[in-house]
Amino acid sequence: MLEPLFGNRTTERILFFLERYGEGYPNKIANSFGIRVNAVQQQMKRLENGGIVVSRLMGKVRIYQFNPRYPFVGEIKTLIKKAITFLPESEIQKYYMLRTRPRKEGKPL
Amino acid sequence: MKNISKLTILELAQLVADNLSKNSIEAVLVGGACVSIYSKNKYQSYDLDFVTESSLKEVENALKEIGFDDKKGRIFSNFKTEFVIDFVAPPVSIGNEPIKEFFRLGNLKLLTPSDCVKDRLSAYYHWNDAQSLEQAVMVAKAQKNKIDLHELERWSKAENNISKYQYFIEKLG
Repeated sequence: MLEPLFGNRTTERILFFLERYGEGYPNKIANSFGIRVNAVQQQMKRLENGGIVVSRLMGKVRIYQFNPRYPFVGEIKTLIKKAITFLPESEIQKYYMLRTRPRKEGKPL
Repeated sequence: MKNISKLTILELAQLVADNLSKNSIEAVLVGGACVSIYSKNKYQSYDLDFVTESSLKEVENALKEIGFDDKKGRIFSNFKTEFVIDFVAPPVSIGNEPIKEFFRLGNLKLLTPSDCVKDRLSAYYHWNDAQSLEQAVMVAKAQKNKIDLHELERWSKAENNISKYQYFIEKLG
């Protein structure tokens, strides 16, 4: 949907994911969409170099989020929020309605 | 060529700025290096973060001339010094506001003391980073005659972080 603006589908998916869930790591994002983790890492690096996302290490995992200090972050998120509402309901359910509330270890999913 | 192993962060920043200027590259020093300069090295940063609109290729050629020929992504280093030079993506901004006025030391253009404090406070506001708060206090104390507290308060309100600003004022004493 915003692929022509963001340059490629992977970037669009990453940014939609971060807007929806607040943060994410390449493996999780790649698995969510069934895409290659290398492709996600490559685009994350590009977005980080551009100042659009920031990352931090948590254990051995690098977690990414929108850079709250990027001057256009509010406008980008507004655009993405609107774009998500234009997605087919099946896609919203499949990718953007994943469980985010806690789940005690040992309980079946 | 200067012996870069003996340069302070300010001297190195000036050497980089002189060489960028010689190559018609405009750049602004931001981040922790400004904190080091304004706190008179009470806080020692090893990163020289410059913002430029010029291409990385142009920057690369200019930095080679002063010995920074080891490049990883946007970061340049030289084995003789612990300092690294990073070229951060534009624009120069703090929060939602673009920065148009800078402090100048010869060819070196850097954040003003007030904007340097804002930059650190911004990291404290967004990430609750205690080190950034400490650095903001250091700069504000060392540069107290050059810090515009009314402007900092206005900006903190605009950033919806007035309570954290008040804590900063308490720490300032």
